[in-house]
Amino acid sequence: MKTLSADVVVVGGGSTGAGVVRDVAMRGYSAILVDRADLGQGTTGRYHGLLHSGGRYVISDPHSATECAEENAIVTRIQSDAVERTGGYFVATPVDDPAWGDDWAKGATETKVPFEEVSVADLLKAEPRINPRISRAFKVEDGSVDGWQLVWGAANSAKQYGAQILTYHRVTGITRDGDRVAQVICTDEKTGEEVRITTNFVLNCAAAWGGQIAAMADCPDVQVVPGAGIMIAMNHRITNSVINRLTYPADGDILVPVHTVCVIGTTDQKADDPDQLKIDWDEVQQMMDCGELLIPGFRKARAIHAWAGARPLVKDSRVGSGDTRHMSRGMSIIDHSDRDGLKGLLTIAGGKLTTYRLMAEKVVDAMCAQLDDPRPCRTATEQVPGSESGKNYVITHRLEEREHDRTDDQILCECELMSRGMFTRALQDQPKGSFDDLRRQLRLGMGPCQGGFCTMRATGVALETEHIDIERATGLLRLFLKNRWIGIWPILYGDQVRQTALDNWIFQGTLDVEHLPGPTHEEVV
Amino acid sequence: MARVVVIGAGVAGLVAAIRLADAGARVALLNKGTGGLQLSQGTLDILGYAPERVERPLDALAGFAAANPGHPYANLDAELVGRAADYLCELVGPALLVGDPAVNLQLPTAVGAIRPTALAAPSMTAGACVDGANFVIVGLRQLKDFYPDLVAKNLARTDLPGGGRLSARHVMLDLPARAGEVDSFGLTYARALDDPAYRRRFAQAIKAVVGQGESVGLPAVLGVDDHGAWAELSELIGAPVFEIPLPPPSVPGLRLNRALTARAKASGVRLVPGSKVTGFRSSGGSVDSVQLATAGGDRTFAADAFVLATGGFEAGALSADSYHNLHESVFDLPLRRPEGHLVHGDYWGDPQPLFAVGVETDHTMLARHPGGDPVYDNLYAAGGILAGATRWQEKSGEGIAVASAVLAADSILAAASTATTQGAAS
Repeated sequence: MKTLSADVVVVGGGSTGAGVVRDVAMRGYSAILVDRADLGQGTTGRYHGLLHSGGRYVISDPHSATECAEENAIVTRIQSDAVERTGGYFVATPVDDPAWGDDWAKGATETKVPFEEVSVADLLKAEPRINPRISRAFKVEDGSVDGWQLVWGAANSAKQYGAQILTYHRVTGITRDGDRVAQVICTDEKTGEEVRITTNFVLNCAAAWGGQIAAMADCPDVQVVPGAGIMIAMNHRITNSVINRLTYPADGDILVPVHTVCVIGTTDQKADDPDQLKIDWDEVQQMMDCGELLIPGFRKARAIHAWAGARPLVKDSRVGSGDTRHMSRGMSIIDHSDRDGLKGLLTIAGGKLTTYRLMAEKVVDAMCAQLDDPRPCRTATEQVPGSESGKNYVITHRLEEREHDRTDDQILCECELMSRGMFTRALQDQPKGSFDDLRRQLRLGMGPCQGGFCTMRATGVALETEHIDIERATGLLRLFLKNRWIGIWPILYGDQVRQTALDNWIFQGTLDVEHLPGPTHEEVV
Repeated sequence: MARVVVIGAGVAGLVAAIRLADAGARVALLNKGTGGLQLSQGTLDILGYAPERVERPLDALAGFAAANPGHPYANLDAELVGRAADYLCELVGPALLVGDPAVNLQLPTAVGAIRPTALAAPSMTAGACVDGANFVIVGLRQLKDFYPDLVAKNLARTDLPGGGRLSARHVMLDLPARAGEVDSFGLTYARALDDPAYRRRFAQAIKAVVGQGESVGLPAVLGVDDHGAWAELSELIGAPVFEIPLPPPSVPGLRLNRALTARAKASGVRLVPGSKVTGFRSSGGSVDSVQLATAGGDRTFAADAFVLATGGFEAGALSADSYHNLHESVFDLPLRRPEGHLVHGDYWGDPQPLFAVGVETDHTMLARHPGGDPVYDNLYAAGGILAGATRWQEKSGEGIAVASAVLAADSILAAASTATTQGAAS
């Protein structure tokens, strides 16, 4: 058993938790963040990558619209390396009422969301693949953001201020000392060791899993309803700007260019368990139909991967319990001292990635208020490590880097232009990391071939670095193939079938990975 | 003299074309791309797993076909498969394929698994994983598709199929194929090793790390045009050498491709590379001709018989659209579709039903309606297009391909001779 102590323990390593731990640390508290898996492994990493301009909410949720517009500018500045300033459009497709655009424009003006109406001709010049039967278009300041980069940026900033980030630490209990929180008990998932953290304050940022965490501190019935949405990554940048449908928020209304792909999303279905999200063929078909409306021929484009995320929606008595689409997207802070008579525990749920920093500010303000220890928030002005230059991400970054080092280094993943050096450095930082942990930092296996060529190379290089032994190397290879498949099989059609046949030929046909010596235990993390 | 059009230049198309041409047919071989051999290991698989590891593939075929009545081997008996394997050996010669089709070799893969195959290149057979074998696996720093410690450590911890263990250690050498190049493909090394001067330097560097009694495992890049390169290396090093196949493009596969293509030319096959078939005409239950779109306009190839050897999903010969409608790319043939869902979520589970989709044939390899009659009376199918096999899991690809190609060719020749006889009689 290991014992640690900190002023504050943050539970959950998604965007909320990472933002909160950064804020807490910058205000001078000692802090430890724990997550049962990797940072950004939950909802944060399973969304479409949109950094909202606010345009999506100008009618449905005007307050959120204004917050998004303000935070978009801040995040673009303080986390420049995670954000691509793609710009975006709201477009009225042939089935949308163009007159609704007037209401939308009025809303955008009132909520201070910057926009400009552009001619369809100008839209088609900028985005030639878009449906030419679009009747109206408004240009907005949408961007795309890499959720993992965002979370790691905030976490690294927190570390600079002395915080500890403990990934793969699953919370198993929260003990109390009278009416105060006393300890957070975790299990180190990589070693099995128990870790006890003595603390004054717990900030429960476990989002869709927040109810489970609150229950561990005997605070029952925190109702966070997982609102599940699927997203599909399409090969290549079908558009270079974010395309939103000019309608009231609905399913399949956004196409976001992120890194080398375009992501279409999303749906909204009430899920019972955020760990068991399904991707139904019907939902995939629905996304294809929506895509076809925005981009004619969308169905013939190549889908390379699908995933589902669980929005942490707080149950709202005004909306039916099954209608997750219209539950509030706003943030809720539950103060358990009022609700359950327990001091030192706040549960945070709801909210959206674009406003993660603002949410963190409000949460830490609430904590300071409960502690009667007001300290000012400074997160809006200071850049996170890696973003000091203020240069935003652009799609050609890696190409430029490889142009510089191509005569000195090998490219292990041609799809995502990941070099051997990038891989070995990331492995050095996370020697216990799985290939999925490294993938989230490097985009290993996330391109069109979905790991067909890089998986074996990653295994070989990882073994060579001697961070892992042969049994783990082989186990990680098996685990990575299994995990990639989770996102491939639901959308397996078109050219990706051909790719999969080639990948199967390589792994099963040429390499015969199925008949490698069996593991004494199957790698799970 | 029969006129035949063969579509596809993988092992099935090449073998069918050569066999037909050698028997006097006028053969045109239309191929869109490079052909599937560059994906192969340069081996001839007959049956590796059924699903347990198979030691004697020809003996296992009858039982396997009985247990899998929809499998291509249900039309291809062991006698035919053995004969077809021997025929391929004859075509490419002992410099490229050796072994006994009745007995599987157990050869190492580039991740250190032990893979069963019936025939292999002579440059691979010293890698047979038998009790007491003593290997040093040598990698090349500049070649990113081969990690010798991954191979050696997995081999060394494996209980061998025939019992016992082998010993294997690994060495990584800094040995560029071209000066100053850090990221070289297998084919770059293969071309370098065609050059005797480079070969000598290469051998010298390896000789320095080989111990007494060790066989040397190397990535399968030991020359592409010079089929004796590996043997000379072995002599220079003073130890047995064996090649381990890499992910595509496969150098041993390319050697077979080049040898068979040269053989087809020598047999008088008219090769029409870079030709995608864009349409066909049929009348009275027969295919009359196929069309190619070329720069000067459509070209028509009329023939008495057609062999469809275009491969499977990996070749684009079969496709599934976003509604999961299935499609055969040249003749829009009816496909055998498994019941239920085509794909499931368990990567390590049962074979995905989607990849068993394909063209069904009668016992002469005429493409037929699933469970019904031939679609045309002169359209034959061979190789990866056939329904019912998961070739990469079974390790059955080339066995099915060459046997179905031989059977299709022989059926065409038999039909032509019947037609001639009948013509003479009337």
